[in-house]
Amino acid sequence: MTTPDEPEQEQPATPLVPAYVITNGRSLLDDDTLSLITLVTTAQDAPAVQHLDPEKRRLLELCSGGHLSVAEIAGHTQFPVGVVKILLSDLTQGGYLVTRAPIPAAKLVDRNILEQVLHGLQARFG
Amino acid sequence: MTQYLQDPIFWVLLAGILVAIIAISRDRKRISELRREKEDLKTHYANLENHYAEAVEEAKDRAEEATKTALKSAMRTLQGLAGEQQLAITKLQEKYGELHILQDLLDISHMNSQFARRAQSIAVLCDGWLGRQRSAASLYDVVRSAKGRIRYFTRVEIRAQTNFAIASRAVEPVALTLAELLDNATSYSAPETMIEINIRPVPKGVCIIVDDAGVGMNEEEKDRAAKLLSGENSPGVSGLGNPPQFGFTVIGVLAARYGFTVSVDSTSPYGGVRAVLLLPEDLLTTIQAPEPEPQPEPQPKEFPTVAAPRSMPPEESPVAPSTTLGGLPKRRRRGAMSIVPAVDSPDVPVRSSEQTASVMGAFQRGTQSGRSSTNASSEGPETQ
Repeated sequence: MTTPDEPEQEQPATPLVPAYVITNGRSLLDDDTLSLITLVTTAQDAPAVQHLDPEKRRLLELCSGGHLSVAEIAGHTQFPVGVVKILLSDLTQGGYLVTRAPIPAAKLVDRNILEQVLHGLQARFG
Repeated sequence: MTQYLQDPIFWVLLAGILVAIIAISRDRKRISELRREKEDLKTHYANLENHYAEAVEEAKDRAEEATKTALKSAMRTLQGLAGEQQLAITKLQEKYGELHILQDLLDISHMNSQFARRAQSIAVLCDGWLGRQRSAASLYDVVRSAKGRIRYFTRVEIRAQTNFAIASRAVEPVALTLAELLDNATSYSAPETMIEINIRPVPKGVCIIVDDAGVGMNEEEKDRAAKLLSGENSPGVSGLGNPPQFGFTVIGVLAARYGFTVSVDSTSPYGGVRAVLLLPEDLLTTIQAPEPEPQPEPQPKEFPTVAAPRSMPPEESPVAPSTTLGGLPKRRRRGAMSIVPAVDSPDVPVRSSEQTASVMGAFQRGTQSGRSSTNASSEGPETQ
């Protein structure tokens, strides 16, 4: 049975386990819980991982090598960032992971100080 | 005696008897003829009736066949579209993963899965297309996939993870069967109750047990369910009843076609129905890697030289040197991470010591030959 608008056989497969099942239908986290550049690593005395979902075990494996940012993890797992954040937050609450808030960006130095330094240098060498 | 012979009455009587005998025999003949005729008519009638029944049966079959063909074709289109849509949604989820729209995309993905499942169920009843063949997958993933195809999936709790895997051809049928069981379980139990799934190995294969805390079924319903689940005399599309009840009929067809069994005749510990899906050994398989999920990640084209070591199985990573040649500590990662190239040092992908040695040797030979040919270096060729 073929019809003109029959689907193409070559279309790539959709994932067997959709993302909303992996998060078990939980809603997304607030933005400020985990940012893209929050660093994540495995906790020292993490509980046993046997009963965790394969996706979570994979995340733990990824993070076991050192600190990874949320964005990197999302890139490696190919899950949407929001989904990864839910999983990471779960793992953090379960004591498997520790997160480190991103180092705040350096503040711009006060313009006055820079000018004073410039003047000092000019007075001395200029 | 002679006096009788002369008596005219005697002759009259004799004639009368003769006439009567003739008449009776004629009547007898006629009766037997009539009887024969009646028999003929009867057989003729029976024949006609048989033919009629056959004709009706045939017409019904033909109508059913026509319905099936039409539905099958329509469902195939719908299934294809649902698949395409799911693919598009998955891509959108990746694209807008950081935004709030992701929540809506996840919801849409869920709705689309349910829609695809309904189309798939109808297709099964029409002996149609079951969807793309999946690659072999772990039982846990198949159960989760089934879970994602029903409306109230958050009520489903999967109790055990196992190392069983389902053979490629059985992934979709088992997922669809479980989805129908879970749909029944969630529909016939209170919204706040949970549905529990347990997986147990048995001598004949693996059992997937679905327990609900619903109202259960009475004997009549159980009998009807058992008949449908056996897959014999499938009522087909026209026999689904009103309102049509797909679940058990679909499961029966799938069970008969793929050789697993489903029973719903026991009671769950919570008083509801316990459905047991028994998968025989030949539908099970083993997956070499513990995780079937990680697809080959896209290999960046700018590092063609590091592509080769990526094909190494992750088991080899422990033998990789733990420091770089510069003496700096090297990140050691197992599994998926070893295939990720670092931007600033293409050396990070794990190599075996032999490979490292041969690469470094080639590098050294190259620099040596370069130096000796031009001799431009102030240090001169290194002796080695």
